[in-house]
Amino acid sequence: MAFLGVFVFAGVGGESVGLEVNSNNFYQDTNLADGWIYSANLDNDFVDKVNNLSSTTQCERQLVIDSVGNFSNDPDITLHFVENNTISKFYLLEGEELNISDADGVWIDKSFADAKDLNVGDNISFTFNGITVEKEIKGIGYSPEYVYHASTASVIPDFNKIGFAYMSYKAFPMDNVPYNVLNVKFDGNAGDYDSLLSDKLAGDYNSFVEKAEHSSVSQFSEEMDQHKMMSGIFPVVFILIAMLILLTTMTRIISHQRTQIGILKANGFTNTSIIFHYVSYGFWLVLIGSILGLIIGPLTLPQLFYPSMSATYKLPSWQPVWSMDFVYVAVLMVIMSLIVSYLAVRSISNENPADTIRPKSPKVSSSGFVEKIGVWKRLSFNARWNYRDAKRNKFRALMTVIGVMGCSALLVCAFGMYDGMNDLKEWEYSQINHYDSKLVIDEDAITSEINDVAEDVNGDKIMESAIEIEAGNIKKSGSLLVLNDTDLITPTDYDWNKIKIANDEVSISQKMADLLDVGVGDTVKFHIMGSDKWVNVTINKIHADPISQGFVMSTDKLDDLGLNYTPTSIVTEKHVDSNYSAIKSTSSMKDMTASWDELTESMWLLIYILIFFASLLAIVVLYNLGLLSFTEIEREIATLKVLGFKTGALRRLLLTQNLWFTAIGFVLGLPVGYYILKIMWESSGDSFYILPSISITNFILTAIITFALSIFVNLLFSRKIKKLDMVESLKGVE
Amino acid sequence: MSTLIEFKDVVKEYKSGDNVLRAMDNVSFTIDEGEFVVILGPSGAGKSTLLNLLGGLDSATNGQIIVDGEHVENFDDNELTEYRANNVGFIFQFYNLIPNLTAVENVELMKDIVDVDIDGCAVLKSVGLENHANQFPAQLSGGEQQRVSIARAVAKQPTMLLCDEPTGALDSKTGVLILNLLQEMSNDKNTTVIIVTHNAILAEAADKVIRIKNGQIEDISINVNPKKVEDLDW
Ligand SMILES: Nc1ncnc2c1ncn2[C@@H]1O[C@H](COP(=O)(O)OP(=O)(O)OP(=O)(O)O)[C@@H](O)[C@H]1O
Ligand SMILES: [Mg+2]
Repeated sequence: MAFLGVFVFAGVGGESVGLEVNSNNFYQDTNLADGWIYSANLDNDFVDKVNNLSSTTQCERQLVIDSVGNFSNDPDITLHFVENNTISKFYLLEGEELNISDADGVWIDKSFADAKDLNVGDNISFTFNGITVEKEIKGIGYSPEYVYHASTASVIPDFNKIGFAYMSYKAFPMDNVPYNVLNVKFDGNAGDYDSLLSDKLAGDYNSFVEKAEHSSVSQFSEEMDQHKMMSGIFPVVFILIAMLILLTTMTRIISHQRTQIGILKANGFTNTSIIFHYVSYGFWLVLIGSILGLIIGPLTLPQLFYPSMSATYKLPSWQPVWSMDFVYVAVLMVIMSLIVSYLAVRSISNENPADTIRPKSPKVSSSGFVEKIGVWKRLSFNARWNYRDAKRNKFRALMTVIGVMGCSALLVCAFGMYDGMNDLKEWEYSQINHYDSKLVIDEDAITSEINDVAEDVNGDKIMESAIEIEAGNIKKSGSLLVLNDTDLITPTDYDWNKIKIANDEVSISQKMADLLDVGVGDTVKFHIMGSDKWVNVTINKIHADPISQGFVMSTDKLDDLGLNYTPTSIVTEKHVDSNYSAIKSTSSMKDMTASWDELTESMWLLIYILIFFASLLAIVVLYNLGLLSFTEIEREIATLKVLGFKTGALRRLLLTQNLWFTAIGFVLGLPVGYYILKIMWESSGDSFYILPSISITNFILTAIITFALSIFVNLLFSRKIKKLDMVESLKGVE
Repeated sequence: MSTLIEFKDVVKEYKSGDNVLRAMDNVSFTIDEGEFVVILGPSGAGKSTLLNLLGGLDSATNGQIIVDGEHVENFDDNELTEYRANNVGFIFQFYNLIPNLTAVENVELMKDIVDVDIDGCAVLKSVGLENHANQFPAQLSGGEQQRVSIARAVAKQPTMLLCDEPTGALDSKTGVLILNLLQEMSNDKNTTVIIVTHNAILAEAADKVIRIKNGQIEDISINVNPKKVEDLDW
């Protein structure tokens, strides 16, 4: 048990610490930029000015440009023509290092190379701005700016369709490279640097993006946060479970040794030596379990999560990392077990030997309130016996209730996660979005082309932009959705009721409103990423969306605010297969739900693990305590058997108590599970909005599993009752 | 008087590994309805074994045990339970009351297994414990506990009361009280009472005395004029 507790803790912990350490190492090794300055005109002058800023330590220009790879499916390849390769360095896996004086070579990304089966030495060509260049692949590897790389069309990267490539500025077909991104490294925090830039260089550049806001970095760190949260809550829960199990097991084993202890004492062993003997017995077991857990946990558990993650995220190394925290927890575990066994042994060894040799005699209980009221007289013998038994064994009762509570809380949590994931899918892909295909418009497409396509597919144009919202002094990035009245995208409230957002209204998503601590009537300001024009809006409505947080408004309203309407996608009811020149990519609803399913795969694993541990917890705790009580009342059971009670009646006697405790634990476990679920969803990242809830079916399933486990454990005892030798058990004391 | 119990060549063997221990070796005897029987014998003679076989707690290796015309040795587990519930009242050396139930509850407990309406207080009164009805076993003296245990056994009106050293844990004065009670049960209610004891004096109060030794019947004697327990010379 100590093993399992430490195993899960160190395993899940190792996974999340591993992610952090691996990504940090990767970022450090490749000297990931601290920030990116975007500008159409990055001349030497500007570079000098940036270099002259006191906190700039390093900067380097590159031209980042979208191109289409020369393949049948027209993949989007982002090209980087770099002036130097000292910041955000290309991480080489095969071939030779990126060489700045090499005009003919290209260094491409591993995932794309794998998807297209490209090797070092192959030739590849790209088309951008009407120019086609052909280069020889000199190296294949990763980039710290592309740990997460997905197109706007889907959350899940499809490496057959997107890729990136690095080249020397010399490979650029013209002499003058129109650099558009300046990678910078600087001292101090990003906010200060941002204000310094806007202070000193206002007007000379378009925008500045700091590391934490970079899409790849932020996506990955959000993922890490989720894992950290997972490794925060679950291991703690498991450690608690393990301790509970340990506690009950130790108590059971030691009270089993009761008579033994009495005999040892009667034979003149001192209290200390007896305590030492038993405590050290438990100590070694727990110590060995903990050490094994410490070693095996980080080696095995991360391997369950990493494969599905490495499909989405590109890191050169996926190594679980060990942290001192695990040792502390293991030590805590060992100390806990020492205390528990010490207390258990001491309570026995302090009794006088004559008493110890006999089974524990029940304490005298005074008649309590319940016994005095009229109903008592009508209660069956079974009910009375159980009531008093529970009253006399408060520790056991409490432990049972806590054990069941933990079990049902975990189950609620697991099923709640399951329901949450399904709800989210249903909500996003059936309740809000009703289109069949979404066509992402090429940035270079002109309005008439776009309108033609929209007409052709009978679709509606929408605009989706990344924005930054500020209220008070809280700044959050979110998304802006601009749509004209359409049946294909219908915002809803948190209850999935469609809500109407009028032409002159702005609606903020619930989660964003919560994050910014604003409501209807409040005024906040925002700007579209890539532009520094801040505008003020007053919130008229609140809608809810599970995966995208920000504003929804009409084109008219956008106009009113003085912002340009540039449609980014066309949504349509039709299933679109054909290619349009104005369309960059097309994704169907089916693709999107499929990629969502893929994204949630590692969640399922977690859910199964939870259910498994919930069941284990209930079984072990109920069994331990059941056995503890069974040995105590063996004599009573034997007596009742002699008196002529049937096995069934006796089993019911034990079952009644189990069921009562199970019922109490179950009821108490519900809010606890709900609360854990709530914390989980709330910490699942700023862009997710999931309400903790559990469906009736799963609620019933939780109840069924909890009670079934309780009855199952009870059945183990009914065999014991049947086999109980009356003559033997009654002989016991003599 | 009709025969209630008949043992015919009963053998009980305990096997432990290769060793076979014969605790009951071809034992045969009969007991009539309403008899007050005392079983005597040295320790390890097989007295408890005999009582356990008769009470249906254990099954014989060989031979026949006929109670009220029925062959107990052929009973399965359920029938044995039924048999214990309806025919046998057990009284143990260490009382074996249910600690979680009060005296009166311990008696009324029997309602759950037999179709008899039991007035716990009335039965307790018959053993002189009407003032202790709501006390828990741990709050009663040994003698009182044994009386509760007798009340529990007689409450369901069994055909026989089997008592294994019922006074073993009591002082002699209390013991006499208990034995007296048992004899009254036998006389007044015509219940068959079988008592295992080490105390040979009790033999004078018995209708029938069975002496066993090494698992065999040594002697069976019948008292035509049994004395009253109170009149014995303790
Ligand atoms: N479960 C058992 N396994 C093996 N041998 C047993 C078992 N129970 C009893 N015996 C043996 O059977 C014999 C008869 O035992 P029993 O308990 O009937 O004696 P007893 O006459 O009641 O003695 P006491 O007066 O000391 O209670 C003894 O030799 C005992 O060792
Ligand atoms: Mg005996």
